Amino acid sequence: MHSLTSFAIAAAQETGHAVEYGDGGFLAEWAWLLVIVPFLAFLAIIFFGKRLPREGGEIAVGAMAFVALYGAALFILNATQGVVFEHSVEISRIGSFAIEWGWVVDGLSSMMYLVVGLLGFLIFTYALGYMKGDVRVTWFFAAFSLFAGSMLLLVSAPNLIQLIVGWEGVGLSSYLLISHYWEQKENSSAGMKAFYVNKVADIGLIIGTFVVAIPVGSFRISDILEAVVGNAEAMETVAIVAAVLLFIGAMGKSAQFPFHVWLPDAMAGPTPVSALMHAATMVTAGVYLLGRMFPLYAEMAAQARMLVLIIGAITLIIAGLLAVVQDDIKKVLAYSTVSQLGYMVAAMGAGAYTAGLFHLWTHAFFKGLLFLGAGSVIHSVHSNNMSDMGGLRKAMPVTFGTFVAGTLALAGIFPFAGFFSKDEVLAAFNHEGYTVVLAVGITGAFITAFYMARTVFLTFYGTNKGHGHPHESPRVMTVPMVVLAGLAVVGGWVNIPGLYTGFTGWVGTRAHLFEEHHAESFDWPVLAIGLTAALLGIMGGYLLYFKDRETQQARDSFRIPLLWPLLEHKYYLDDLYLGGIVNPIKGPVARFVNWTNSYIFDGIVNGAGFLARAVAGVVYGWFDQRGIDLALNGIAFTADGAGGKTRLLQTGKVQQYAGATVVGAALLVIGFVIFR
Amino acid sequence: MAPDIDYLALAPEFTLAITAVVVLMLDLFLPRSQKYWTAIVAVLGVSFAALPLIALAVSDVGERSMLGGSFVVDDFALVLKGLFVVAGYLVLLMSVSYIESDRYYQGEFYFLMLMSILGSVVLASSRDLITLFIAIELVSQPMYLLAGWRKGDLRSNEASLKYYLLGVLASALLLYGMSFIYGLTGELTFAGIAVAGAGMAGDPAFIMALLFMIAGFGFKVSAVPFHFWAPDTYEGSPTPVTAYLSVSSKAAGFVALLVVLYSAFPEAAGVWGPAIWILAALSMTLANLIALRQTNIVRLLAYSSVAQAGFMLVPFAAAATTDAVGLGDAFAATVTYIVIYAFMNLGAFAVVIAGARKTGSGEIEGWGGLGSYAPGIGLLAAAFFFSLAGIPPLAGWLAKLVMFGAAMGAGSSWMVALAAIAAVNAVIALFYYARVVKTIWMDPVPATAPDEEVRTGSVAGSLGLAMGLSVAVVVAAGFFPSLVTFFSEATRGLAGG
Amino acid sequence: MGWFDNGWGLSLIVFLPLVGAVAVLFTPKKNEAAIKALSLGFTVVTLVLAVLLAFRFDFGAADVFQFGTSLTWIESINSGYHIGVDGISLPLLVLSAFVTVLAVIYSFNHWPEPHNPKGFMALTLVLATGMNGTFVALDLVLFFVFFELVLLPMYFQIGIWGDKAIMKIPGFNREVETRLYAAIKFFLFTLFGSAFMLLGFLALYFKSGEFGTRTFDIPGLIELAPNFTGTFAFLVFGALFLGFAVKVPMWPFHTWLPDAHTAAPTVGSVLLAAILLKLGAYGFIRISIPVLPEMAREWAPAIAILAVIGIIYGSLACLAQTDMKRLIAFSSVGHMGFVMLGIATMTPVGINAAIIGMVAHGVITGLLFFLAGSMSHRYHTRDMARLGGNMKIMPIMGGILGFTAMASLGLPGLAGFWGEFMALFGAYSPLAGLNTTLFRTAMVLGAIGTVLTAGYMLWMLQKVNLGEPSSEWEDQHFHDVDAYELTAWVPLVVAIVAIGVFPRLVLGATNDAVVSLMTKAFGG
Repeated sequence: MHSLTSFAIAAAQETGHAVEYGDGGFLAEWAWLLVIVPFLAFLAIIFFGKRLPREGGEIAVGAMAFVALYGAALFILNATQGVVFEHSVEISRIGSFAIEWGWVVDGLSSMMYLVVGLLGFLIFTYALGYMKGDVRVTWFFAAFSLFAGSMLLLVSAPNLIQLIVGWEGVGLSSYLLISHYWEQKENSSAGMKAFYVNKVADIGLIIGTFVVAIPVGSFRISDILEAVVGNAEAMETVAIVAAVLLFIGAMGKSAQFPFHVWLPDAMAGPTPVSALMHAATMVTAGVYLLGRMFPLYAEMAAQARMLVLIIGAITLIIAGLLAVVQDDIKKVLAYSTVSQLGYMVAAMGAGAYTAGLFHLWTHAFFKGLLFLGAGSVIHSVHSNNMSDMGGLRKAMPVTFGTFVAGTLALAGIFPFAGFFSKDEVLAAFNHEGYTVVLAVGITGAFITAFYMARTVFLTFYGTNKGHGHPHESPRVMTVPMVVLAGLAVVGGWVNIPGLYTGFTGWVGTRAHLFEEHHAESFDWPVLAIGLTAALLGIMGGYLLYFKDRETQQARDSFRIPLLWPLLEHKYYLDDLYLGGIVNPIKGPVARFVNWTNSYIFDGIVNGAGFLARAVAGVVYGWFDQRGIDLALNGIAFTADGAGGKTRLLQTGKVQQYAGATVVGAALLVIGFVIFR
Repeated sequence: MAPDIDYLALAPEFTLAITAVVVLMLDLFLPRSQKYWTAIVAVLGVSFAALPLIALAVSDVGERSMLGGSFVVDDFALVLKGLFVVAGYLVLLMSVSYIESDRYYQGEFYFLMLMSILGSVVLASSRDLITLFIAIELVSQPMYLLAGWRKGDLRSNEASLKYYLLGVLASALLLYGMSFIYGLTGELTFAGIAVAGAGMAGDPAFIMALLFMIAGFGFKVSAVPFHFWAPDTYEGSPTPVTAYLSVSSKAAGFVALLVVLYSAFPEAAGVWGPAIWILAALSMTLANLIALRQTNIVRLLAYSSVAQAGFMLVPFAAAATTDAVGLGDAFAATVTYIVIYAFMNLGAFAVVIAGARKTGSGEIEGWGGLGSYAPGIGLLAAAFFFSLAGIPPLAGWLAKLVMFGAAMGAGSSWMVALAAIAAVNAVIALFYYARVVKTIWMDPVPATAPDEEVRTGSVAGSLGLAMGLSVAVVVAAGFFPSLVTFFSEATRGLAGG
Repeated sequence: MGWFDNGWGLSLIVFLPLVGAVAVLFTPKKNEAAIKALSLGFTVVTLVLAVLLAFRFDFGAADVFQFGTSLTWIESINSGYHIGVDGISLPLLVLSAFVTVLAVIYSFNHWPEPHNPKGFMALTLVLATGMNGTFVALDLVLFFVFFELVLLPMYFQIGIWGDKAIMKIPGFNREVETRLYAAIKFFLFTLFGSAFMLLGFLALYFKSGEFGTRTFDIPGLIELAPNFTGTFAFLVFGALFLGFAVKVPMWPFHTWLPDAHTAAPTVGSVLLAAILLKLGAYGFIRISIPVLPEMAREWAPAIAILAVIGIIYGSLACLAQTDMKRLIAFSSVGHMGFVMLGIATMTPVGINAAIIGMVAHGVITGLLFFLAGSMSHRYHTRDMARLGGNMKIMPIMGGILGFTAMASLGLPGLAGFWGEFMALFGAYSPLAGLNTTLFRTAMVLGAIGTVLTAGYMLWMLQKVNLGEPSSEWEDQHFHDVDAYELTAWVPLVVAIVAIGVFPRLVLGATNDAVVSLMTKAFGG
């Protein structure tokens, strides 16, 4: 049961850290409640939701409140005494492999519990207001709870099968919630797109699982890490292959290039969904997976880690550029999310475990906040497009304030949360000597700041170009925003190099399985450059969209020279996928296969049938009824003999038959000779 | 000195002969309105003929041989006599209503029928060439007349004449072969021929004689290419006669084949095995293909019976390339097949009689929707036709199983090939058997169908009884094959296996 | 309960439906209530017995045949009435009894035309005997008889109650009613396969004679397995393969399936998909592999290739369908492809995957066909272009359809997942000596197949369930699922979830049996 504990401690001794871990006591032992409660909520809402005043919303919020509290408790427990707890129940065996369900309480998972629970609770509450009067509120909250359950199942997984189950579970709820307004085809199509892209990536995850599970003989992550890291040289190839394949899975969930295309479309879902799933939690599952399997990447698969780094870098820059040219405010945030995920992945690739998770942590707060803000705006102006907004700062002061807080955090301005996490990521790049990536990251910082500034100015400043009278959102929506705003400020203070690096320890329990190069103090030059880049970005946004907004606002978007055609078509990726893969398969290929089925395989079968009939016709007509004549012209003797008598008959075949009998006898003789 | 006669052993023959005479007498003296008595007497007579058989079966005397081994009553004889009596009984049951509905004389019909049955019963015991020949002729001659029973009907006359002419030719071939054999071996009894002819398997004259005999029997069992008489004759004859032709007289042919080949020419299996291989393959394939194109139900059954003959010949072909045990298996397999075939084919013809009455048509199309207004007959039709196709749980599957078994048991690639041919043919056959059932159950009632009271008219009791007995056997044997195999196994002895 | 354990219990499970069929036949046509009562009664009792069997089953000894008996049946060919269940057959037996009951319940207010409940129920009951019997038969002849016993009822159900639409035979200018074409095609195809299967059985029988007395007894033949080698065994395996592959059906022997499933009345398609398709795969596991392990090893790559082609081919064909029911029918080709891929790996994992895959496919696709039937019953069309917005018209049915589609595309947590996932898992490391590269390629293609499966399933949902209902349904009244439908469907939904979250329900029975079977066949 505590295999992981012993392993971790052993590893800790090896690596020189002498750390004591608690087993978390009853809190950890009852942590399975975390997973069960949202699922129960799902069922409860499905069956009784409609009858409740809030159409089931209250059940969902209640469940998330529980999760948030329990998550917080576990988080604190881990923060104070450092917990490594793992328990698995065998639910079946297949061959020699055990299929298990269990739960893990350690730094990484407890951090995720808290994030999921807290963000979930706040955003569910927000949704109570946002979804009021929606076509199918009950179903919305049910699916939302289903998501929460699946996410926690994923996070709590001590083995890869359970992880996959949760993984696909969040995929399902993502599909359901993106296509929430399925009356319009494009929404359900967006949901399908998300499902397919993830399904493709999941092939990597699944096969990667096989690759490690088979040689190790177990699906348990702890066993796998122990075995693989334990005998490095024997397992090296396995480790590299598995690392790459698992990362492909992560690329899908965490919308890394070239799998990022589904996330912007996913904005078709209601905004709370975008906030919780497609910004704060679900999309970070990939990063979480990298964290879970980190020893694999850190210790063994340097090449694979390089791939992770590069993909992350590419993603962060291309997505950032796309964010600049969007008019739909949610699309801006969506691409921004992709770009930030790029940061996290790149950090993991650079071997900066803590930095990656730290950015995940802060990003959850401010990006969740930004989406809620966007939702609040959309809620009041009934449009996603910034070209229909503007000047909302007076009408919606709370939204404005919190949104700005989120923006500064995302832009990475001191002392907001994003500042510390992003700086740590950049520092890590520098420390590991990935200068190019560092440059990319800094450019990314500039772009981030620019498009966020643009968003703020286009949305809240200038004159309102929308119709109707924008108004501040109700309490139930603003309060969560305020809380998140607070977190967006202080969220980063838990990991200030040199001052207080609690976070490192909190998520670090697993980090002792490997040497992490962790910055002891600020990397001042990088910090300076990064901050300047961010400020410049805001400045640029200010110049273009505040000072010079008349000219700018005439256009719906800022057209970056040279890059524009590329960006306008989203790097032609969608066209490639649709035109190059999906449509051919759906159209010609499928039709061809069906054609072969009807005309070739069925054709053979039917053909055989018709052939038999035809042959039968010939045999009947020519051999059985008429063909005997031929035989008889050769042996005409009976014809004369019997002919006279039998011509009386309607059909004078007797002589022919007789002849045939003789022929038959002769045939036997011949046949016998052949066989002899 | 007078030969010692075992009267019990001959009791069945005597019973039948006496009944026949009584029927003839009755027919002479009874007034027209009382003629139906002939039918009753005939049916009773046949039933009585079964009693001594049972007595013989339970008696502890193993094998009763008389007339110097020309006439033997052993298990084989008993089983086949039993089959012939029961088959004859069923045919008579079918005939009663059918003949009554014609205006023709009754007495002769039953007299001739009884004589033919007598012939087949004698055949089962005959163990020398002469007895065998006489018996076979006794089976056939009455049929030449019965085939033309419907004097006014030209097709019936044609049927009779064709059957007669070709039958005579076949008998000639048979006799020709027999005389050669006698000339070569100087023996008449099969036992004697077996001994004397042991070394002659290579002698061309011997071979030719043997093959001519097979050709003669081939006619009786209507195997391709000796089948040409069958379709026309079957179609033209009164249906009960057709039923008798396709079952009893065919079975008689097979019995003759079995006795002659296995007990007289075991050594020459290498000669007749391959010959029969060809007959079997041809019969199955051609007849099945041709049957696909038949529109008349009787003609369809005619070709079906030719194909079935092909299946029944398969084990013979196997005998050539197998050991003593295999020989026994092959022999028993044929017997099993004959027994099952008798019941399912008789049932099929009984259904045809009943169906034709209701639909007023012999064309398959005319039978559309029969299942909707006569579900009972429809059900029976399905049972018999799918049994012929060999679909479990109906007895036909067992027939196919033992047939395939004999073929595979021989363990020669030739026989495996024949088994494969048979397998494909089983599939082809299903197509036309299923077509009949499909017409009955899945097609709409045609416009040409007769009016209501004809369609819903009740079936004659005797015919119903015939169908009932047949279906009972077909279903029971399908679930409890031992009911049949028990008897067929008893006959092994003759094959020395 | 001695009587229950020494064969009577099992025999009752097999033959009670047949008795029921006879009872129904002797009930007057007009008295529908009695017919319903009889058929339901007999099937329910059968199910109860099957469940009782499962409870009394000794899972500790899942690899030995239990509740069995062995009596002489056909003495002359030494074929016995030898029956019994082990961990492999138990789940399938229970599934069969289970689905039969639901089918009967469903049909109570969905009598296909022409009405005639008497005939329909009688056939269904005969079918049940055939299916249950196949899963318990331990004698080749007995197996053959039961295996074939299902043909007649299914032929009649398709042919009489099937789809009366006129179809054009592609490539020939011949038009025929769909039901007639499909019925005879199904019949001929299957008989063709099983005829050769029978030859294979006989060959085994005679071969066994060389090592003692000839026998059709499956356990007995398994003991002799090492002796079956060379060309002989190769051909025999081929013959059996033909019989089983047609039944499964494996590509390219699948073409009877889309027609039969589409033409059959709802209950017919359900039983066809849920149970009949399993007979073939079961034959592979019960007979081909243990009796001819050598050849199984040799044929495995071929099976794997055909299986994978089936997966991809079936999924692609689905994408081209316009008829909802035909799409579901084609999906079976893909799903059975996964089953066969699992079998082809010749590993405990793969075989287990195959069995749980079969059970899952049984409950899932069965439910899908129920739904397709009920929807065409209401819309009077199966053309997906005309359907749409079903979620708005009939929320509950739409919901169940969505759920089932998700299960069918192998969503984790639902029954369909384990079969697919574990089949691929097995394919990653097939039996020692098999070509790993080939099997891993197969695995990757199979994984792509799962994407395609998701593709057509979601596509179908989008076309049928989502969007705005087309105007032609506006002024029509549709009533959502009725009591009978719910009674028939809810158990299936529960089963799908239960197996999904707790695969031990199936694997708990199969695993030991499979492991010991494979150890016997291929050594430790």
